[in-house]
Amino acid sequence: MKKFSLVEFSVDHPKLVVFLTIFVTVLFMTQFTKIKTDTNPKNMLPATSDVRVWNDEVDKTFGLYEDTIVLGVVNDKGILNPGTLEKIRRITDDILAIKGVAARDVSSFPTITNVTADAGTLRVAPLMTQTPKNEAEITALRKQLFESPLFINRIISPDGKTTAIYAPLEKGANGKEIADKIREIAKREKGDEKYYIAGDPVARDTFGAEMFKLMAIFAPIAGCVMLLVRYLMFRDLFLSVTLMMDAMISIVWSMGLLIGLGFPVHIMTSMAPVFLMAIATDSIHIFNEFYFRYREKKDKRTAIIETMQAVGRPVRYTALATAAGFAVLLFMNIIPVKVFGGVVVFGTLSLRLLSFSFIPAMFTFVKDEKISRIAEAEDVGLNGTSRFLRKLAGFGTHHPKSTVLVGFALLLIALIGISRITVNNNMVEWFKKGSEVRVADREINKSLGGTSLGYVVGISKEDDFVKNPETMRYLEGLQRHLEKLPVVGKTFSVADYVKRINRVLHDDDPRYDVIPDSKDAVGQYLFLFSMSAKPSDLDNVVDSSFKKANIWVQLKTWDAKAMETVIRAVDDYKKAHPIAMELKPAGIAYFNMIWNHEVLWDMVKGFILALIAVLLILALDFRSIKWAVIGYMPLLFTIVLIYGVIGFVGKDFDMPISVLSCLSLGMAVDFAIHFVSRFRQRMAATPDEDVSEALLWTAARPGKGIMRNAILFAASFAVMLFAPLTPYITVGAFIVTMMLLSSLMTIIYLPALITLTQRWLIKGGTK
Amino acid sequence: MRTLFVAASIAMSLFLSSTSFGMGAEDVVKKSQAAFLYPGKDFKARVMMKLINKDGQERIRELTMLRKNFGEPGGDQKYFMYFHQPADVRDMTFLVWKYPRKDSDRWLFIPAIKLVKRIAANDKRSSFVGSDFSYEDVSGRAVEEDNHSLLREEKYEGKDVYVVKSVPKASESVDFGYKLSWIDKGSFIPWKEEYYDKRGSLSKVFTANEVKPVQGFITVMRRTMKNVQSGHRTEVVYSDVKYNQGLSDSLFTERSLKNLPREISR
Repeated sequence: MKKFSLVEFSVDHPKLVVFLTIFVTVLFMTQFTKIKTDTNPKNMLPATSDVRVWNDEVDKTFGLYEDTIVLGVVNDKGILNPGTLEKIRRITDDILAIKGVAARDVSSFPTITNVTADAGTLRVAPLMTQTPKNEAEITALRKQLFESPLFINRIISPDGKTTAIYAPLEKGANGKEIADKIREIAKREKGDEKYYIAGDPVARDTFGAEMFKLMAIFAPIAGCVMLLVRYLMFRDLFLSVTLMMDAMISIVWSMGLLIGLGFPVHIMTSMAPVFLMAIATDSIHIFNEFYFRYREKKDKRTAIIETMQAVGRPVRYTALATAAGFAVLLFMNIIPVKVFGGVVVFGTLSLRLLSFSFIPAMFTFVKDEKISRIAEAEDVGLNGTSRFLRKLAGFGTHHPKSTVLVGFALLLIALIGISRITVNNNMVEWFKKGSEVRVADREINKSLGGTSLGYVVGISKEDDFVKNPETMRYLEGLQRHLEKLPVVGKTFSVADYVKRINRVLHDDDPRYDVIPDSKDAVGQYLFLFSMSAKPSDLDNVVDSSFKKANIWVQLKTWDAKAMETVIRAVDDYKKAHPIAMELKPAGIAYFNMIWNHEVLWDMVKGFILALIAVLLILALDFRSIKWAVIGYMPLLFTIVLIYGVIGFVGKDFDMPISVLSCLSLGMAVDFAIHFVSRFRQRMAATPDEDVSEALLWTAARPGKGIMRNAILFAASFAVMLFAPLTPYITVGAFIVTMMLLSSLMTIIYLPALITLTQRWLIKGGTK
Repeated sequence: MRTLFVAASIAMSLFLSSTSFGMGAEDVVKKSQAAFLYPGKDFKARVMMKLINKDGQERIRELTMLRKNFGEPGGDQKYFMYFHQPADVRDMTFLVWKYPRKDSDRWLFIPAIKLVKRIAANDKRSSFVGSDFSYEDVSGRAVEEDNHSLLREEKYEGKDVYVVKSVPKASESVDFGYKLSWIDKGSFIPWKEEYYDKRGSLSKVFTANEVKPVQGFITVMRRTMKNVQSGHRTEVVYSDVKYNQGLSDSLFTERSLKNLPREISR
């Protein structure tokens, strides 16, 4: 009964308690100056994770870049005219001058290596050293562009209306900042051309930056909405502010701790304040009960202490359930997820400590007359809300069978929906359809090979293995095989260079557009190429000992699924055509696939753990497995129904959804805990009353707290529906639905279940 | 005679110059090119090139190089190269006719298909056999293509040097923004050259690592070009250096690409 004395202590020494709370808060606040942020979603996987180590190795071997920004230039009249070409030259020059851009490897008309035959002469040079001035020069350029498979779909669309400038970034460069600079450069140009900027770093860094911004905007707005809704509920500004402070203090404590311990604030943890604010709404049950008690006792001190006696247990256990739901995150593999779990657990526990100290202390400062005025309105019999809730619960209580049947029917339909869920993740789709990032991606993917880049790395054990004509033909065959996939827009490898040189050496005779028959010829062609081309041209596709080859695979979508189909196609090809070479996927598309996979399954694992943890806590709270199972039902129904809808709507089960499912459990179960606890208290306190009357009372009185809690919660998350990023809209919609559904389930479905199973429950359980 | 001339020109420029330094920057560069790229009437050496990437992985190029001057320093030159390594390009031969004021003519013999092919490439940007040297770094850049200015005179590793800044007149034709050279006041050998990109950051660094006189000609026996941005570097070592062998003109023709003259295989 230690907690108990904390309440009494707080009521007796309110000023001391408030002072101490504020003092501790200020201490935590001093940590805020040390804040470090990490907006890169890539860091969800540590730099030491297998996929990042492997990708780094591939980048090193082939002199590749982790990230590339793509600037698409579109002219509906065709880009091959002196005006547009001059703009491309100018823009390329300006891009080369941006710090953080790996200038030596920018691919664009003025920089890309071209191999041509010209009156018996082999020419290896940048494609466009000077802007063509007349029709003859344009025609020559057009011919070169369209006869080289190295250019089509990479820097020129087959219809000649689109080109792209590929700007690889140096390690550590900020994609969004560079993208902004490129945007400025493009903006300076006037004319018919349209410019689109895309690429993984744009999406990722823009998302990271936006996410932080949104959190800075949405957390305060959500706070204000909550304050307003609370004021409308209780008409008491002082107490509404107290509730608000409760949330704020816990946020300051937990974020202060996080920063103080030296963790950077990652995009994941930036969501913690909004979650804590939502969890803090649970203290509304204290207020709800307090006014009822005050009406009955007319004494502030007694009312406070009795309130805490009545709601203390459910408040403690809902906190425990919430904390447990988040604590499972501590067992996950992904560090930012762990940190996030830790922050919310700490915040939830702080909130409970405050509920038993700071909140009771603040109650003592409210004038008696004011409380009685509000309390007048809180009459179970007279109050409209309470009467409505009684009616709702009455439906379940009086028609238990049909209620349960309807519930089961819904459950079955939802299960069909769940079976239709597809697992996928697409970062570009985290932006709204009309957003710049998404439009750019769509436009470039429409006409060129694709903005998403994966690699297939062939690794042999033998020096010069790649120079074998068989290996070359193998690479070529694999490329043609991959290009059959609808998601693959373009591939290229060292075989393309060899074929090109073979043809050019033979006076551009198309019959020689093949791999030559001898290894020496391949070796000499490549040597010849390396004599004049940029070093990176060859480095990008073979390693220095010619043991390894790298096929570039441009994908037309950022779907994590796309890279999976590529990997499957590679495996199929390897099975059908064995070769002494290992074929391994790599690149940013591969990273995204693994990243998505890891986070997703980590969350599914967390979800299952949370389900078990919550059930255990219910059993512990109710000291009965049977009651725990009953109390579990609204939660289960809510979750199944929501996923059913997701399945039917055809929304992908993506990363934001998987994160949410895990988090929602601990919060959705709260209502059932309050309901069952208070119902059983009522049964114990008034043994003469029959079960249905006790159920109706519970729905009307603590049920009002549940409804208030749900509305408050839903109201604050509804703000997110107006966010510009789709994961926020998803989070908002998910939580609003979950709160409303689980509260309705608790008020209607739980009474029906309890009525039907009362013999079984009460015989074996409470008494 | 040479020192006399230098002394005279120093005295002249001291008297006349507006740069206030010893001699005109353009003269320094001219002399440097003569000493570095044009010594002797002809030249022959075994050249070992190591192309080394950031992680220390190497590609080897080994060749015999012959050079003959046609005219004064700063004028035309012809190069003949015969490759020994890598193994699959053995017997490949390469002929370059270099003209200071336009792109060189080049022919390559590809033994696998027994074909001599003329090759056109941009001297200013193309890499020399895949190394960090461009063709221009190997064979020089016409003095009048840049505006040269003497920045200062200082000591470089104990040697008295001129520090010259060269800024291309036609900036769009080259990849670099400007170049700084540390040129020995006595031998006019460039000890170091720094290439800056158009953003003004250092991109490539040339260093002469070992210099010794051969038959009276100061010769850079070991040199390195490092791309500081990519971490890639090329190390070049000369051996069997011989000057004034009386190499015949007929050696530097398309004919000898296929049928290697004895002078080379020897």
